[in-house]
Amino acid sequence: MHINISYVSGQPIYEQIERQIRAQVLSGELRAGETLPSIRTLAKELKIGIVTAKRAYDDLCAEGFLYSAQGKGVFVAEKRPDDLQNYKLGKLREQLAAAAEFARANGVTPPEVEQILKEILGE
Amino acid sequence: MYGLEMENLTVDYGKFRLEATMKVRRGCITGLIGKNGSGKSTLIRAIMRQEDGATGKILYDGKPFAGNETEILGKIACVFDSPHFSTYLKPKRIARLFGTIYKNFDMDMYEKLMRKFDLPSDMRLNKFSYGMQKKYCIILALCQRPEILILDEPTSGVDPYDRGNVVELIQEFMMDESHTVLFSTHITEDLDKIADYIVMLRDGKVALDDEKDSICDTYRLVQCPSLTAEMEKGAVGVRKTMFGYTFLTKDRDISGEGVQVKAPTIEELFIHLSGNDGHGDPFSEF
Repeated sequence: MHINISYVSGQPIYEQIERQIRAQVLSGELRAGETLPSIRTLAKELKIGIVTAKRAYDDLCAEGFLYSAQGKGVFVAEKRPDDLQNYKLGKLREQLAAAAEFARANGVTPPEVEQILKEILGE
Repeated sequence: MYGLEMENLTVDYGKFRLEATMKVRRGCITGLIGKNGSGKSTLIRAIMRQEDGATGKILYDGKPFAGNETEILGKIACVFDSPHFSTYLKPKRIARLFGTIYKNFDMDMYEKLMRKFDLPSDMRLNKFSYGMQKKYCIILALCQRPEILILDEPTSGVDPYDRGNVVELIQEFMMDESHTVLFSTHITEDLDKIADYIVMLRDGKVALDDEKDSICDTYRLVQCPSLTAEMEKGAVGVRKTMFGYTFLTKDRDISGEGVQVKAPTIEELFIHLSGNDGHGDPFSEF
């Protein structure tokens, strides 16, 4: 597991951690069953608050990427393909919604948006 | 379970009065901020029973200090704003004294930390620089193997390299879940990183006591070229410059031409909540 923290990005620290762990679970870099560092070790190594580290793990457990076993630690959860597919599509929808919002606010028409998307996808 | 609880802890100097009800959560790092003279050091001295006129209640894990002082104070180590022992002595001598006073005093750890911070053992403490004295006091506190560590400005006067070391030592101390830290500082950068809770004092009163992440989530720092009536409604600590306005707000829907919105750092929070800006009481929001 590797994590970089940026203090200038403006993104909350727990979100930065969540994003990077999620990506590493999805890419297979973090394998199912692998043990992650304890909350306090994570906080110490990244020089962040304990509450912040706990929040990142709690969120990832709630999303099903990790699970914690009382007294044993935090582990990478078994991959569930359906969940992963839903997760990816959900994230993509979020990003497209932001782009659509931008288009609306700036008077870009739906056909123009479609054209740009096609160009990007190389169709 | 809460670590330290202060209920109406009051110190009255006549012109200045500290009156604090607050918590220092067990297992967490609490950062204490406030302007000079807001009561931070008075609060710390009152917790350590160094303020004779203090009234009100202090509890540790639900147990009142009153009647259990020897037991509870034995679990607390404190770095005061200046050394609370004779600085005419040499570290060697002081360590031996501490070794006889504190039954848990860890001599191995002491030797290790003296080397880590590169401090001389045979030089009188009053010949140490201010930053070196601070570091020495932190070492002495840690070697008492306390449950609670209270630090008054531990990183002031300490160079950036050793400030990093001090922060690391505090985090190492926190690897034990039963440990608790309260530290006051003006170097808010240190708090931005490792604090879990922030308590802010203003004129002897607790003005803010909340989880750091939730404060940074709740507030937004807005920079804008002009201040509309709508923006002004929720604005706290408005500051005007030649080029526009900066203020804090809980309003998440602020946007517009040339408007920049971001999560505040503890320093920005501190600056905007400390000043009198003619926009009423900045704390009417709380």
